[in-house]
Amino acid sequence: MSGPRLFFQQLRAGIGLALLLGWAGGGRAWDVPSFLDAAAHRSPRTLVAAKALQQLVERVSTQDEEQRLQALNQFFNQRIAFRDDIEVWGQADYWASPLETLEKGQGDCEDYSIAKYFSLVAAGVPEAKLRMVYVRAQFRGRSQAHMVLAYYAQPQAEPLILDNLVPELRPASARGDLQPVFSFNSEGLWQGVGSASAGNPLARLSQWRDLLAKVKAEGF
Amino acid sequence: MSLIRQIWLLVLSVVLLSLLGSVAVSTGSLRQLMQTQLQLKNSDNATALALAMSQQGGDAELMSLLISAQFDTGAYESVVWKRNDGSVAFERHAPPLVSKAPGWFRGLTPIQTQAGVAKVSNGWNAAGSVEVRSQSAYAHDALWSSTLRSALLLLALGSLAGLAALAVLRRIRKPLDNAVAQANAVVRGEFSTVDESKVPELQRLTGAMNSMVMRVKSMFEAQAEQLQVLRQQAHCDALTGMSHRKHFLAELESALARDEGPSHAGLVLLRLRDLAGLNQSLGHVATDQVLLAMARAIQVYPERVHGCLAGRLNGADFALWLPAPRVAAETAEALAEALRASLPAFGPGIQVALGAIELPRERAASHWFAQADVALARAEAGTGVVVQALVTPEHERYLQGERAWRLQISEALQARRARLLEFPVIDRERRLVHLECPLQLRLDEQAEFENAARWLPLAVRNRLTAEVDLCAIALALEANGHDEQWRCVNVAPASLLDGGFVARVRELVFHAPQAARRLGLELAESAATQHFDLLHELGRQLRPLGVRLGLEHAGAGLAQVERLYQAGLDYVKLDSSVVSGVSGDAARAAFVRGMVIMLRSLTLKVYAEGVRDALDVQALWDCEIDGVTGPWATGQLIKP
Repeated sequence: MSGPRLFFQQLRAGIGLALLLGWAGGGRAWDVPSFLDAAAHRSPRTLVAAKALQQLVERVSTQDEEQRLQALNQFFNQRIAFRDDIEVWGQADYWASPLETLEKGQGDCEDYSIAKYFSLVAAGVPEAKLRMVYVRAQFRGRSQAHMVLAYYAQPQAEPLILDNLVPELRPASARGDLQPVFSFNSEGLWQGVGSASAGNPLARLSQWRDLLAKVKAEGF
Repeated sequence: MSLIRQIWLLVLSVVLLSLLGSVAVSTGSLRQLMQTQLQLKNSDNATALALAMSQQGGDAELMSLLISAQFDTGAYESVVWKRNDGSVAFERHAPPLVSKAPGWFRGLTPIQTQAGVAKVSNGWNAAGSVEVRSQSAYAHDALWSSTLRSALLLLALGSLAGLAALAVLRRIRKPLDNAVAQANAVVRGEFSTVDESKVPELQRLTGAMNSMVMRVKSMFEAQAEQLQVLRQQAHCDALTGMSHRKHFLAELESALARDEGPSHAGLVLLRLRDLAGLNQSLGHVATDQVLLAMARAIQVYPERVHGCLAGRLNGADFALWLPAPRVAAETAEALAEALRASLPAFGPGIQVALGAIELPRERAASHWFAQADVALARAEAGTGVVVQALVTPEHERYLQGERAWRLQISEALQARRARLLEFPVIDRERRLVHLECPLQLRLDEQAEFENAARWLPLAVRNRLTAEVDLCAIALALEANGHDEQWRCVNVAPASLLDGGFVARVRELVFHAPQAARRLGLELAESAATQHFDLLHELGRQLRPLGVRLGLEHAGAGLAQVERLYQAGLDYVKLDSSVVSGVSGDAARAAFVRGMVIMLRSLTLKVYAEGVRDALDVQALWDCEIDGVTGPWATGQLIKP
């Protein structure tokens, strides 16, 4: 990521879109067949990665939440190489779906957070406990716009941070390099997505809209 | 429903439908836009508010202040800040504003939005969420006023489209009406052509109608030509082409019996003396040339003067009847001059005797010939071309009393000292077709009713015919109202020249519309030959009201009326000079049959006038005539 100006642009776009698009949560089962189907349509390599993810999610969904966080954080931090959107997608900012990220094997901070968020939801972690957080990160002595996923075991508790800069799962207090700015999740917003169609004037406002449609089509 | 009205309805419904449709579509899409914008506003403002609140370091006072500030300066229904556990930390509410749009409109265009929700945080700590709900009444207000505006605009456009359609329909309607009028005219027996329309479909229609009319015209012309040949055979002397004796007598009888005409008339008899001797001295051919020269000299008069009769009575005798007083002697002199100039060229010793007389028209034909023979006999006493005129100064009496007569006629008309005689026209089954009703006037209060023949010539001279005819029409309408019989009255051709006549007849007819449907007006043949346009106009004005129009005293002249097929008549009465004697003369019968066929093809009824002889009647039925009138018909027992 580069520069505070881009950071704020992204912040604005991301926040607006996230809320506008109306993510909604709760009671949504992960549709595994259509997930694998969508992966198979992309490439064999994607299918292998998708199967690995599916098996991991299945395996960890019986374990406690922190173990699920550990496993999936590690899964994506290991599989996905950090790359700017401009290199991967040829665009300044592109929010890729989990399958797109798996297919490329590359992604930037949002792509990590998005993939982790949806995978955890698929693994049964309540949306209310997850928040995507815009942060200002001190990285190699520079200030950077960055996005992480935060997990709140209790609403008032100190969150655990899922990040790609520091691959390990750490509590927020242990992350002095991160300064939170704004957070959001899809809680209470999903119903807007259900009716999303080409006729909805809210559609096509951004790539985030595309992302949601893509994510939905991928079975999440 | 008429075609034009159907098109109108179609245009109107299309305009209305498109109007409603476009208002509905524009309102619908505007509603969608409003709803989207309102939803966006909720979401974006919630996010912006949450973003601002997240930067306050968890100070609840400041965060509440932010909410109040946003709420107070914006158009919100509610802004609620909920804690993580769902309990309300701070909220502001305002009653929903009421839209100015009517309830049914709000019901038809619901604007439903969800509250905008955004998460609030304090550093890493979650601080609940904000829910923002905007006022939506203003959206309905805007929607309502824009709907009204677009409805008004479209209404104006629709009216313009309607006006344009009206103009186009007017343009179509005119040629259409023309075509319909032409069709109606054809039904009425007026075969007239109209200007071709510029609209292709109508152009074909009017073209077809016009060509049909032209075909009728050419048919009529062919028949008229054929009739001319028949007439030659039936009525004319083979050598000179003048009426032969029989026809001349019939014509004279008819002219004398007619109501209209001068009180006095003149007759000139011409005799080429010693025909047998001339035949010997000059030869047949030269003698015929002499006869032809005489015929040419005499023919000049009937050709120029309407009502003038000329005929070759036998080998050497010619007759010329002049329908005017005080011209017989002059005419005889003029003829004599002409003959003196032309005859010597054929050889010497050609002698012509001319006898001229003048008599009151009511005298019988036999009396006319007896007098003329006396004059001719006196002329034969001389040598060369000799004229003998026997003119009684009888008519002077009339001239002196003319002013008094005029007054008497006017008074009789004003006092309604008038009555209609009734003579039946009957058909083959002896059923009454209609009543012929000549007018009688009682000129003096103490005197008897007098026939038109007595006073009509004076009425014509004094331009009183219009008054006389209107009186007769009024009487006929009155009588029709009582007994529901068909009545026909005479109208003098001179009345047509009176500018106000047609309008006054219309007025009479308007006041008795029922009786008018059993009224017939008949005019002498000369009305068609001399005042065709006036006759046509009369028919155009009156026939749509149910009044029938006919020609009386019709003879060979009818075939000369070029546009008879356009006249718009109902019937024709053939003159007695044409129909008398048909029983004994195949050529005359053929002419009558030819007339009947020609007139029938123009959808006219044909009646015969002045029929006396039962044998003639039978012959006329054989000619397919529709009815007869005259002494014979009057004497028949009429079937109801």
